[in-house]
Formats: sequence, C-alpha cells, structure tokens
Amino acid sequence: MLGYFMEGMIPELSRVTSVLTSWRADFGLALNGLAQNLPTRDFGTSPLTRLSTSTTPVLTPHIAARWFPCRLQEYQVIGRHLPSEANPTPKLYRMRIFAPNDVVAKSRFWYFLGKLRKIKKANGEIVTMNLIHEKRPQKVKNFGIWIRYDSRSGTHNMYKEYREMSRSDAVDALYQDMSARHRSRFRDIQILKVVEVKKADDVRRPYIKQLLTKGLKFPLPHRVSKPKSGKIFAASRPSTFF
Amino acid sequence: MADKPTTKKYAKGERSIPHASQKASKYYPAEDNSLPKKARKSIRPAKVRPSLVPGTVVILLAGRFRGKRVVLLKHLEQGVLLVTGPFKVNGVPLRRVNARYVIATSTKVDVSGVGEDVLKKASESGYFTKDKESKKPGEDAFFKQGEKPQKKETSKDRVEDQKAVDKALLSNIKKEAHLADYLSSTFSLRSSDRPHAMVF
Amino acid sequence: MGDAEISTSQWRYVEVGRVVRFNGGEFNGRLAAIVEIIDHKRVLVDGPSEKAPVPRHSAALAHVSLTPLVISQLPRACGVGVLKKKWEKAEVDSKFEQSTWAKKAAQFQKRRQLNDFERFKVLKLRKQARYEVRKSLAKVRSSA
Repeated sequence: MLGYFMEGMIPELSRVTSVLTSWRADFGLALNGLAQNLPTRDFGTSPLTRLSTSTTPVLTPHIAARWFPCRLQEYQVIGRHLPSEANPTPKLYRMRIFAPNDVVAKSRFWYFLGKLRKIKKANGEIVTMNLIHEKRPQKVKNFGIWIRYDSRSGTHNMYKEYREMSRSDAVDALYQDMSARHRSRFRDIQILKVVEVKKADDVRRPYIKQLLTKGLKFPLPHRVSKPKSGKIFAASRPSTFF
Repeated sequence: MADKPTTKKYAKGERSIPHASQKASKYYPAEDNSLPKKARKSIRPAKVRPSLVPGTVVILLAGRFRGKRVVLLKHLEQGVLLVTGPFKVNGVPLRRVNARYVIATSTKVDVSGVGEDVLKKASESGYFTKDKESKKPGEDAFFKQGEKPQKKETSKDRVEDQKAVDKALLSNIKKEAHLADYLSSTFSLRSSDRPHAMVF
Repeated sequence: MGDAEISTSQWRYVEVGRVVRFNGGEFNGRLAAIVEIIDHKRVLVDGPSEKAPVPRHSAALAHVSLTPLVISQLPRACGVGVLKKKWEKAEVDSKFEQSTWAKKAAQFQKRRQLNDFERFKVLKLRKQARYEVRKSLAKVRSSA
C-alpha cells in the first residue's frame, strides 16, 4: 500500500479507477513514470479532495443487500509536490490507504510520502481522493496481506492470510489479529500489499487451508446461550451440549 | 401647558428651549433598571395522548385508587381526566385524575350512553371542591376524640350523578364477558413482569 | 465385560445448505441458509423467504441456531436465484412452520402480544380450569 505512481497522466479519473482494480499495480513503488503534459492550472490552483461516499445498495432479486458497515475503508489518495517555476508539472503519487475516515487517510498519505520522497504536507497538495468500494462484497475471498511491523525489539516483515468478504474487512481483521497476537498498535503496522488469493492451491497458511476442504462441515458441540430474561439466578444449570 | 418649550428670540433668529422636565438626566442610574422577564410560555390547552380516548379503560398509577382499572369519561382542562369506576363495580367515584399518572389500555367501553348534562356539570369548576366550613375539625372535635367522628355525608347531587353515570355504563359493561370482573380487579406487577415490554 | 454400545452422535452440522434461525438482533426469528462457511465462527447466510427475507451477509454462528433442516446438494457460494429455487423446492418455510420449535415460538409471540384485558381473561380461565381439575381430583381421592 506504500506509494506508487501512475504512469502517464490522470486528468480523467475514470482511468485511475480502472487501473486500481488490477492488484498487480499494488507492487512496490513504480516511481519512474513522468507526468508529462499535465496542465498546471488544472491542479495548481485548488487541490481537489473529492470523496465519493455513495453507499447505493446492490439489488439482489429478493431483497436489497444492505450496507454492513466496516471499521476501515479503502481510499485512493493522489497527491504531489506543489508546482513551482522550476517544475510546473510535478510527479503525481498515488496510494491506496486503509483508514477509518478520510482525515486519517490523508494523514497516512503524508506520513508515507514523507518517508519515501522529500515532500511533506507543507510543500505538497492532495489532488484527488476517493473511496474504493469492494467489487464483490458478497463473495467470500481469501486475502494475502504483506505487512511490515515494529515490534518492541525490531522491525519485521510478515505475510498473513485472511478469509473475508472484502479487502477492508481483511485489513481490519489483520489489525485485530496483530493486536491480539503481538500487542501491536495501528501505528506499528504498515500494510505493504493486499492481494486476493484466487486459487486454493496458492493458499499458504494452514489455518486458511483447513477451511477450503471439500464438503466442509463441523458441529457446534459446546454453546452457551445467553439468557434473554436477564435473570441473575437460575433454577437449573444451563445446557451447553447440543 | 408647563411642558411646552419656550422660544427665545435673539437679534438674529430664534431658538426653542425644551422644558426643564424634558431635559436629559445628568446622571446615569447606578444600577440598571430591572425589566420584567418576558414570558415565553403561553397557556395552551393540554394535549393528552392519542390513546386516551373517552371510553378507554385506564389504570390509575397514583393516589388513593392506585392500581384500579377505571373508565375514562372526558378530558378536562390542563391534562386532567374525568374518570369513573364505575362506582358500583370497583368503588371509584366520578373523579379527576392527572393524565400523566395513568396507563391507557387498548380496551374500550362504550360511553355514548352517559348523559351530556352530567358530564358538563362535573367538568365545571367547583364541582369537586370541598365545602370548607363543614370540613374543618375545630377545637371541639379535638376534645371529643374519644367519640366516633360524624360520618361524612356525600351530597345528594353527587350521589345522583354517580348513579346516572353508572347506569349508562353498567349495561354496556355487562354485555362483554369478564369485563366487569376485569374492572373490579386491580393491576399490579410481579418480579417477572416487565412493564416496558408489556402490551396494554 | 459387556459389549459397549457405540452410536454416532446426532450433531447438527454447520454445512453449506444448513438452514439456520436467527436468535436476536435485527433478523430475530428469521430463517436463512448457509451459503458458504467463512471460518469457524462466521458463515455467509442468505434467506430468500418471501415473508421474512434475510439479505446475504456474513453472520456470526453465535447469533444463529442450527435447525434440523438442510437444503440438500446446495452448491457452495451459489447465486441468489439458485438458492431461491432450491429453498422453495425444499419447502423450508412450510416444513419449519410444522416443527414444535416454530409452534412454540409462535405461542410465545402470541402470549407476548396479549393486552391487559386478554391477560386477565387468561388468568381467570386458567383459574377456572384449575378449579375443575382439583374438584375432580378430590372426588377421585375421596372415593379411593
């Protein structure tokens, strides 16, 4: 998810989003391209922060699928250095950021860009920003996530797999998982890459592999049902065996 | 008039001098004059809940007859309800109760038979007020503590009105099975009852 | 030593096609079929019932109960149309309505919807019934 660059130029945002869907563009940093022919007046005057938060429900034949909110959203943030006389058309940098809201997304953008290039918020501008929606939010997918995280004793790279309905769900699960297993915080984790693992053979982790067996079924032998009446004392012990 | 301005004439022209009483004061008041507070509230006719329709069986929650199920007859001014037991059924007479201290049930009794004139009489101010002179126990009563106090007499008019209202209601109440029993029973909660989840 | 009798347990399984019933929450009491298993705690469910539909979403297994009904041979992650057809063919709604589970739930629901007067009538009629039972019981006892 670290910064990378769009080749060519991007006056049409539709092209940007079309590139987004291919995950191969996620890889590392492709900062070699040149933003040529970019008219200065388009971006120089006002940094556009357009945010599309349309939550139009997808209609299925029998019922409108509703929006089940997720803690994290995926944003596309495009920014650049402020144009100067020396360089009227500075390079554009694009990132896909997972953040709870657009304010945090912009902040993370500047955090990452500052680490990679000599650009900071004071001398840069955000050109575009939009929300990336999951293409198929009702399909269960396996995601592989590469991260870099700071533990108490050093920095590590990691690869983890999650079985979720969307990329942002998977990243959310990752943050929960990392905080549980390694006591790591949001600030300690940098997400490098989120990839859908399409083939079951490519799944590496046994904890996901076990869910991909054919004809999977399992019982729920031990369940504690919560009493609805909210009584403190019960005359008989609850049955947990079904 | 004394307040009239005087005109002074000079060689060239003239000017009018306001009267001394019209002169602005030399001093500001040491303290600001307090203005009366503007009332932003107005007295409006009370709006009772839509569930409280005349004829509704209501549960009284406060007062001497708390827990009783009574019939609502009419809305009076300022959110007060005119109810009756009927007296024959559960001992609640024609009475005014606060609409706030009442649970409206979905059960209805037909009150169309109740005479308009009785209701009108009961809704007039002063109908329910006590006769003060007869009420006050004086010094004599204190010294006569050992003796039985005189029984309070209900005025004949009130007894008549009560009978008239009851008669009209009772015939309707008897038509439905268990309704008279229901009105004579009292409402109470047990430990397992959850009034917020109950349907009334 | 006697022969130990071994029988397999009669578990209800979490499996694709299993009909589940929501207990609590927004879809309380509604039926849905498991379309895919996400992990050991969550499943993708979809309820195409006409009367009480459930949109396709991931539901925690803690919030649903497994019913004995299974839609047989439901393909994994099948589409909405396929599921609806299979659901209707398996007569899930009508079959569940006949179960004691559904009947009990309906009874509870009805009891909860009674108003104050109806509650009183139930109380009174139960008293009468009890009285009759006690009376006849006393008769039998005295004659015995």
